[in-house]
Amino acid sequence: MFLAPFLIILGIFFVYACVRAVIFSFTDYNLFNTPRWVGLANYTALFREANFLRALRNSILYSIIVTTIQTIGALIIASILNAKLKGLNLFRSAYYMPSIASSVVITLIFLWMYQRRGLFNYLATQLLRYAPIILIFLGFTLVIQTVLVLYERLRGFPAKWFDPALLVTSILLSAAGTFVVSILGLVSLREVPPVDFIWLQTKQQIPSRPEFLAMPIPLIAIMIQNIFTTIPTFMLIFLAALKDVPISYYEAASLDGATAIQKFFHITVPAVQPVLFLVVALGMIGTLQMFDQVAIFGNAVPLESVITLAYFVYNRMFPGAQLPEVGLASAAAIFLALFTLTLVVLQRTIIKSEVK
Amino acid sequence: MDDAAALQSIQATTRYTSEEMRAWVARRRWALAGIIYTIMIAAAIVFVGPLLFSALSSLKTNPLEYPPGLNIPQLYPSNWIAAARLGRLGGGNPLLGGFKPGARIPFRITYFVPEDVSAELPEVIVPRRRPGAGLGAVMKIDYAADYAHVSPVMEAERAPSAISIDGERVRGEYITYSFTVSYPGEGPPIDRVPVDITSSPGVIYVSSTLTASRIERLGRVASYDNLAPGFFGYVFRNYVRVFKEARSVSTGKSLFFSWTLNSGLYAIARIITNLLFATMAGYALARFNFRGKTFIFMLVLFSQMVPGQVTFISNYLVIRDGIFGLTRLFGVRSLLNSLWGVIIGGAGSSAMIEASKVFIMKQFFESIPREVEEAAMIDGTTQLQRYWRVVFPMARPALGAVTILTFQGAWNDFFWPLVVLTSPEDIKTLPIGLLSFRQTYGAAGDWGLILSGAILSAIPVIIIFFVFQKYFLEGVSFGGSKK
Repeated sequence: MFLAPFLIILGIFFVYACVRAVIFSFTDYNLFNTPRWVGLANYTALFREANFLRALRNSILYSIIVTTIQTIGALIIASILNAKLKGLNLFRSAYYMPSIASSVVITLIFLWMYQRRGLFNYLATQLLRYAPIILIFLGFTLVIQTVLVLYERLRGFPAKWFDPALLVTSILLSAAGTFVVSILGLVSLREVPPVDFIWLQTKQQIPSRPEFLAMPIPLIAIMIQNIFTTIPTFMLIFLAALKDVPISYYEAASLDGATAIQKFFHITVPAVQPVLFLVVALGMIGTLQMFDQVAIFGNAVPLESVITLAYFVYNRMFPGAQLPEVGLASAAAIFLALFTLTLVVLQRTIIKSEVK
Repeated sequence: MDDAAALQSIQATTRYTSEEMRAWVARRRWALAGIIYTIMIAAAIVFVGPLLFSALSSLKTNPLEYPPGLNIPQLYPSNWIAAARLGRLGGGNPLLGGFKPGARIPFRITYFVPEDVSAELPEVIVPRRRPGAGLGAVMKIDYAADYAHVSPVMEAERAPSAISIDGERVRGEYITYSFTVSYPGEGPPIDRVPVDITSSPGVIYVSSTLTASRIERLGRVASYDNLAPGFFGYVFRNYVRVFKEARSVSTGKSLFFSWTLNSGLYAIARIITNLLFATMAGYALARFNFRGKTFIFMLVLFSQMVPGQVTFISNYLVIRDGIFGLTRLFGVRSLLNSLWGVIIGGAGSSAMIEASKVFIMKQFFESIPREVEEAAMIDGTTQLQRYWRVVFPMARPALGAVTILTFQGAWNDFFWPLVVLTSPEDIKTLPIGLLSFRQTYGAAGDWGLILSGAILSAIPVIIIFFVFQKYFLEGVSFGGSKK
């Protein structure tokens, strides 16, 4: 009785819907005719469709790259945030900001930044202009740090190459040095024309070869955006998992002379292994079903560069002036579902086997 | 953390006293903390930066200006005061401005005139210009150009000076001109008074009563979108435009307002249904043992993994046909293009009762000891009474999480509303309304309107996030412990 409303809704809008989608995928239904059974014709037709193959390739590339980068990025940030310092909770909330606004808001903001005279191209221009100064600064830091570390070691202190206290000193000294050098006019800003990289209205691909790895630039633009918005959510999940790791593990490792990197791989990574499956699965489900960004980019980019499986389905169901191809759309949707499930199950077995 | 190790190794090798060694190690600890905080701040800039920068840029007349700076005239207090004063003089409204019969707007503009340039009096016109194109552009509006009168331009002040142009010192004078724009006689109240001031070639615009909206034609034309904007009309120009300019073709009502209302109703409806039904389902799954429980549980899990694209085809048809014709009982043939359609149906996990919320409630009810209910059972109450009187009120923390997460989900929902709501524009919710904004204004490069709309629509969720942070973060962490 308590379950009744839930079951009715689930029955109509999920079970019935799934069954219908499977049935439609074997028919030539177009909303206005009487459906006729056509067997597997829709599925074979899919793989002859240039747009479907493109969508498939885009979705796979997108999913692999975004899932990998955002998982690693989230894990690194989480392990830094896990340092028991005061005030880190404030940062935790700040980092979560991109994840609370809707995909539409974030996509619109990114679209604006991707304009030809937008923020991304402006920052790239500035980076090129300041390149000499930045290089000088980094060079100074490297030299000073080396000298300081060697000096400390001579004095008998166990200074590491990235010794924090010396690093702070070298950065400050190097900043002062760079300032002096630029005041004296020994280095100056480079004169560069504004970067005019076309993010959106382009069919260019990176890398241009081989064909199966070539990513359309607009798709890369969506990847950057998606990584930006998903890292915070995954970071929180990792953080929750890291909370359970006793701090004594890290202390014990330090006593044995483990470096920060060794500690990351031998303590942090095993600690999050249980949620790693969840994070990777959520990432893959989310990326394979990416739809919003494609719909919002819309006519600002060439459709074929950003089309994904999810958008392919929508596009065949509501193709504007033409007749909907419900059969084909259903077949593509079923394919997407089976593909997602297979990958999720597959990665679960892989991650599990690695634990053992 | 590294301290102990470092201390040990120093003691093993060196000639320093323990005092000195402690100090050495402490310095490292402070420096490390400093570096971590710096990295944190840098990362915060990366994550919050785009939002903050777009919020500031949305104040600009043209957010696409290059280079994109943060020197925004809309942020100068002197302009705030001027805008409010001009708004009062123009339309008697210091906040929103306007142009009403009897208005007199005195205005001054200052140019720098280099020595070798002869300056003539600038020419002031009120152009027949309407803001933006797109949604609601077919509406008839009154133009200030048909009613405004511009007094002859007079020279007000002249002061010799010198400025540096491209590192070179140029001598010349500052010349200030004044004029008055007035609204003589009778007429309708008008929203805006656009003004273009054209100067002679070679002179340089310095300042004016209100900073010019843009400088055109190689610096010759100082153009004002509205000479009497009022405080909001100037500082939040694009935000006022979001409400004023995009109007429904059939009713003339503000589209953005309708979208916000629709989104609010949709969110409230989803919160209510989820609070009622998802809690009940979660309770049943947590407390009762019955045949098929495992099956239902698996089904719920499964429903979260199947993409919305699989179910939306059938759901679209169900909604189109009014849920197997049931809605005809209420005289409605189809639920397409209706908020009810969005509320009742749902792509993938149903909008009305979300599987993920059932999970949250199930987990919460499992943590409540059974004894609480058993005590009530002795009093001879029915199952339903016990649920409503005893269990439901106890679930307050979990209900909070469900409410907040449902609100966020509904407010940001995109795919399903996009399928159900296509026309007219009034019926849309905020996210898909913003998509229409992008389609209509994006091509024209009018990003001020799009950004302002986006920022406005994000404000409610951001406020709720800051007030109820705990629930958000718990909700996410909960996801982590689910399996």
